[in-house]
Amino acid sequence: MKEKRIQTDVLCVGAGIAGLMAGIRAAEKGAKVILAEKGHALHSGRGRGGNDHFWCYIPEVHGQDLDLFMKECLKGPKLKTMQSGTASRVLRTFLAKSFDIVKLWDQWGIPMRYQGRWEFAGHSFPGDVLTHLKYEGRDQKKILIQKACELGAEIVNRVMVFDLLKDKERIIGAVGIDTREDSLVLFESKAVILGTGCLDRLYPPPTPAWMASIPGNLTLTGDGRAMSYRAGADIVSPEMPKRHVGPRYFSRFGQATWIGVLRDPHDHPIGPYVTRPNRVYGDMTPEVKGVYLEELLKAGNGPVYMDCRGISKEDYEYMMHWMWHEGNAPLLDHMKKEGIDIRKHPIEFQTYHIIPEGKIWINEKGETSLPGLYSAGDESMGGISCAATYGWIAGENAADFARDKSFAGGDGAKGEIDARKELIQKVMSRREGPDWKEVNIALQQLMQDYAGVIRSETLLRAGLDSLRRMRKKVDQSMIARNRWELTRCLETLNLLDLGELVFIGADARRETRALHRRTDYPLTDPVMDGKEIFLRKKNGKPVVEVKKA
Amino acid sequence: MPPVINREKCTGCGACAEYCAEDIFFGSEKGTIPQVTYPEFCAHCSCCVYACPEEAIGLRIPLPMQLLYKDPEKMV
Repeated sequence: MKEKRIQTDVLCVGAGIAGLMAGIRAAEKGAKVILAEKGHALHSGRGRGGNDHFWCYIPEVHGQDLDLFMKECLKGPKLKTMQSGTASRVLRTFLAKSFDIVKLWDQWGIPMRYQGRWEFAGHSFPGDVLTHLKYEGRDQKKILIQKACELGAEIVNRVMVFDLLKDKERIIGAVGIDTREDSLVLFESKAVILGTGCLDRLYPPPTPAWMASIPGNLTLTGDGRAMSYRAGADIVSPEMPKRHVGPRYFSRFGQATWIGVLRDPHDHPIGPYVTRPNRVYGDMTPEVKGVYLEELLKAGNGPVYMDCRGISKEDYEYMMHWMWHEGNAPLLDHMKKEGIDIRKHPIEFQTYHIIPEGKIWINEKGETSLPGLYSAGDESMGGISCAATYGWIAGENAADFARDKSFAGGDGAKGEIDARKELIQKVMSRREGPDWKEVNIALQQLMQDYAGVIRSETLLRAGLDSLRRMRKKVDQSMIARNRWELTRCLETLNLLDLGELVFIGADARRETRALHRRTDYPLTDPVMDGKEIFLRKKNGKPVVEVKKA
Repeated sequence: MPPVINREKCTGCGACAEYCAEDIFFGSEKGTIPQVTYPEFCAHCSCCVYACPEEAIGLRIPLPMQLLYKDPEKMV
């Protein structure tokens, strides 16, 4: 196996919105920056096709009381769940900075104004505070890449970073593979920023036999969370589930971009919020209770439809404009090809699969619990605007951290590097055994059946035992036939680690809260309000702690 | 199975294979018509469709992912 060595002040892992913003800011602060992206930066991450909602605080729109605005925003259970595990001072820092980021993006060429004004719509209850700015994000990644390159940051595509290197004091680099060529890539750096996104492949997808039937990205496998856990960082609330709602079966995000009413087969609205299409509010029912759609279906009261009939011509054009910017071009193309017209045809909607909300714990500077390691984006704070803002904050602080540090030299991590090489060589040299897909499906099955929508101590402990037994087999027998499969194998090993954390966290949370439903602890424990389950690896074993984020 | 490449139009420029985040064209070589090596891993993001300068790529949405809808005018 060949070896490439790359030295940089700041290494950003993942070139999504968070990674790019971190890279831009760190480069602007004078650091030498490398962004390592396992796919291609132009089309990677949740923001790849675009976005149209940017949660932000604009004083001239929302008034001078930031704390009141923050409280108002967290009324919606969805936003609240998305931010579980995030400390309120981190949230506050995000909101306070968010308008600056809006103005920067607007300057750089991502249109943040609609017809010259700050336009707020969607993700809000009728008559209540409006939280999300509409913006034209279709080309956001292209623009951010240009900006990063202008400032001298270098993007290395097709390199999957899968483990961190550290000495006694701090993170000193990371190890990755080239996803196309037979090469190990060693990064020596003074600071690392993880921006690797969500955990989309741990639970069975909406169509279990079709892994690509998820609304998110197949390559978002919580790599940052897994590698930071292995390096000893604090992971917070890995057990909390989130479930999105959207079109059936062409799973896509962007539920809040639809201007319509969710109705049952008899045309009755399923929720109390809107009775006719409303461009400002949409239908908030799925944000209050996403699983409600699934419950209606299971009770025989479905299907549930997103009904846009009665929409005005102007509102229809408005919605189509934003669907394009939200990254829903493939859905629009499909509807056109099939002759589906939302003005006439109500579209079936459903509750999607479980996406665990666990995060890498960060403080208000974007620092994790390990010196030299930073994180931003969905793996430490959910949503596009949080990714943009905390990417910026983490980039700034990582550059400051790196300034007076020197390179640690590779020798201290030689043992760790050799162990990774051995792992890769074994997986690549075996001829017989399960490939990544077989392992991934078996894992998804255990997650769904033993840590799924219904949980209990007996289920969770039996599931964890089975997972650990399977893990031993996988470690001794998983195969990859080429680099593409090797990449998927390394992702799947990350998923196995994170699956274990879901089991341990779910066992430790002895209450029912939001979508974490324990049949043996059916009540919500008020003592747990504001507290989180923390997990850290110590002496090779997971340690649980319950405390405030 | 997505994506479907029109072999008459494709010039083998490799733009689709270059940009695909899932790398489903893995193993394709520039100058030849790309092969869809891992069609089941296609995320239906259309980046290849929009990247192709010859407009030679179309997505075929797999049957399990068809959009379901109600057609009130034609209901039984």
